[in-house]
Amino acid sequence: MKAVCFSDEDIITLAYQSVRDIPKDNIDGIIFATATPVFHNRYHASFLADYLNLPQGILALDFVNSSRSGTDALLLANDLIDSGKYQNILVVSADVDFPGIGRELSTPFGHAACSILLGNDKGLAEITFAKSFSSSFAEEFSYKDKYVQYDPRFSRDAGFKNNITSLLKTPVSDPKSYDAIVLNSLYARMAGGIFSKAGFDEKQFARDTLTSKIGNTGAPHALLLLLNELENGKKNILLADYTNGTNIFEIKSKSAGERKSLQEKLSNYDLVNSYQDYLLLRKAGNFSSVKYKTKEMFSSEMMQEREKDTLLYLKGLKCEHCGTMYYLKSARCKKCKTDKFSEVQLANTGTVYAVTSEHYFPASFPPITMVVIDLDGGGRMTVQQTDTMYPEKNKLEIGSKVKLVLRKMIENDAKPNYFWKAIQL
Amino acid sequence: MKKQTDIAIIGIGVTKFGELFHQSYDDLVRDAALQAVNDAQISMDDIGAAWLSTAFPEIGVFKGRSGMDLCEPLSMYNIPVTRVSNYCASGADAIRNAANALRAGECDVAMALGVEKLRDRQPQDSIVKMMVEYGHPFLQKGFTAAGTFAVYANRMMHEFGVTREDISAISVKNHYHGSFNKKAHHQKCCSLEEVMLSPMVSDPLTVMDSCPTTDGAACVIMVRAEDVDKLKHNPIFIKGIGLSVSTGWDLPFFDPNHDFLSFEATRTAAKMAYKQAGITKPIDELDLIEVHDCFSIVELLTYEDLGLCGKGEAKDLIRGNETRLGGKIPVNVSGGLLSCGHPVGATGIRMVVEVANHLRGNAGERQVKNAKRGLTHNIGGPGAIASVIILEK
Repeated sequence: MKAVCFSDEDIITLAYQSVRDIPKDNIDGIIFATATPVFHNRYHASFLADYLNLPQGILALDFVNSSRSGTDALLLANDLIDSGKYQNILVVSADVDFPGIGRELSTPFGHAACSILLGNDKGLAEITFAKSFSSSFAEEFSYKDKYVQYDPRFSRDAGFKNNITSLLKTPVSDPKSYDAIVLNSLYARMAGGIFSKAGFDEKQFARDTLTSKIGNTGAPHALLLLLNELENGKKNILLADYTNGTNIFEIKSKSAGERKSLQEKLSNYDLVNSYQDYLLLRKAGNFSSVKYKTKEMFSSEMMQEREKDTLLYLKGLKCEHCGTMYYLKSARCKKCKTDKFSEVQLANTGTVYAVTSEHYFPASFPPITMVVIDLDGGGRMTVQQTDTMYPEKNKLEIGSKVKLVLRKMIENDAKPNYFWKAIQL
Repeated sequence: MKKQTDIAIIGIGVTKFGELFHQSYDDLVRDAALQAVNDAQISMDDIGAAWLSTAFPEIGVFKGRSGMDLCEPLSMYNIPVTRVSNYCASGADAIRNAANALRAGECDVAMALGVEKLRDRQPQDSIVKMMVEYGHPFLQKGFTAAGTFAVYANRMMHEFGVTREDISAISVKNHYHGSFNKKAHHQKCCSLEEVMLSPMVSDPLTVMDSCPTTDGAACVIMVRAEDVDKLKHNPIFIKGIGLSVSTGWDLPFFDPNHDFLSFEATRTAAKMAYKQAGITKPIDELDLIEVHDCFSIVELLTYEDLGLCGKGEAKDLIRGNETRLGGKIPVNVSGGLLSCGHPVGATGIRMVVEVANHLRGNAGERQVKNAKRGLTHNIGGPGAIASVIILEK
């Protein structure tokens, strides 16, 4: 099985979703890692920082070259915090890769995002050692968008084996002290002998229960494998992430693995019925429809910038006289006509008050269901429903409970437009 | 408020409504204006001021952005002419402005003309395009015009036990009426099955629950009642005009006070008009009504907003055939927007012409017998702006 995101998701929305529930007080850095960037000359990290309402002017860096960039980010964040210059750094990694049509079945891709908050305070786990070992040789890579691969018998010796052998010469701790070795590499199967020679036992290798479920997810994959072992209750983990060189970490768990956010996500998915449906999903991701070809949509960066308190952060107004809460700004309360308001944070969950489905609005999967939602605690919004590939499974009715998620709206050529859509709770 | 001078309509004109590929915006203006001027037996030079109603120049033919576009086709120059834009209530608002100018003494003869030329573009290049590509990039994005009314249908079904059959019965009735109207866009009867099985637009509204995209124009010539020439004119008197803006473009969908069961704008506009006309029990005191049935659900819930019945009782009027020709209060005997089509700026004035024809006894096969008093109603935007005009013989 492979994780495939919906047609209105991309690395930004996946990353946002992964980082959304992390407490964001006192964050002074964000590092974003992906092998499938959507922007050039625009930092995904600062883009996300803005969507997360983090302060302007914090450290915001991108690693955007390889599927090792997830742990590259972790490595840098760890060193920056050790240096004492930074207190709390968010490491966010996401990849959405589509191999060539026809190659999806043989390519171990999967779509995912993973976020880790690093700080000096006591947390779930502690990084006790971190180091990166470069390798001059790469088994497979691309050059000018062309895929390059050498003879595998030659390249595994020259690349993977060589690199792992040399890094294992560096003593870390007693090899037998680890209760989980996590090795993220396409060549992981060849690693057993090398690790044995260095004093490890093959039994120490963590059983990879993740990749078979979601595929290889690129940059966030090593982080997800680590998280999986933390949730499995492993205490002393050696994490090695190999792509043209290796990042190696020694991580000691501080919790009993009671938070199972990865397991929750894994248990909550919709199956795509067929390869044809997958292709449809992939094709629909370009957001043009057969019925109506959208050339442009009026939207400006200025508009989104000045309205982001409302649009992005869901800040509403509460009438101080009658208590009615409004999503849209107004001079006076529609109900009691008074003009004193206070700003409130609106909830991102609610109940459907009214609903219809639009068969003529251009959509990836028509019809678009439009829902008028009474937000929990007050305020009302009207948004599209998403994750509607199989509408009969996700039918919303008056009274249905929903949650708002950040997704792509119709996309013009110039830039993506992200806004809230509703999913069934 | 002061007692207002009565206003008389002395000339009426309306073009054929439909896909008028062989007539331009200017052709439609000339057709409607000349009919009205001839009906009033005046000269174009007698007109002292005029109002042009075109709601969507930008999605039509870029004509109607100012009053100028009324003057040019008519060679009617050197008088004040203003373009009126108030969504679907534009036509009625042109009449209201003309009436007020007559009352203020700005002019002695006023023209209100509504025209819309939408079919020079494909339907998906006009109304749908407006909803898809223009406006705020996020707020209500995903709605077409049909959807903004379909949410009302779903609330009505949820709260009042209204059925899809009740909603579609409105379309069946209006298409039946439209079969008598030689100027309607569609002049064919249809069955309940045909309406319900036509392609879905916005659940539960189908294509045949929705009015077509149409070209057309309509015109009225107005004077103060005291200036009517009884030898020449066959006047119809305006006894009340109400117009109300009661919410905004986005607010209905973001306002927790809104119940999606009623249009506050209609209730307010009706209250104003009823007060001016001295009407207290509309179902007994009115002989016919033209209601803004852009989508069939809108006619149904407007029964309640106009006070023809109590809350939740609209379905009983349609089930009892009370609003059909020959019923207690015939509604949309012209065929409504569903049959006539909806050239947005022209519709409000087309309705006034329709009621005037009935009051004059000139409505032919669809004549409402002994019609003495009628009402026209428009609702514009997402139920934000409503107009109500009461006309008497």
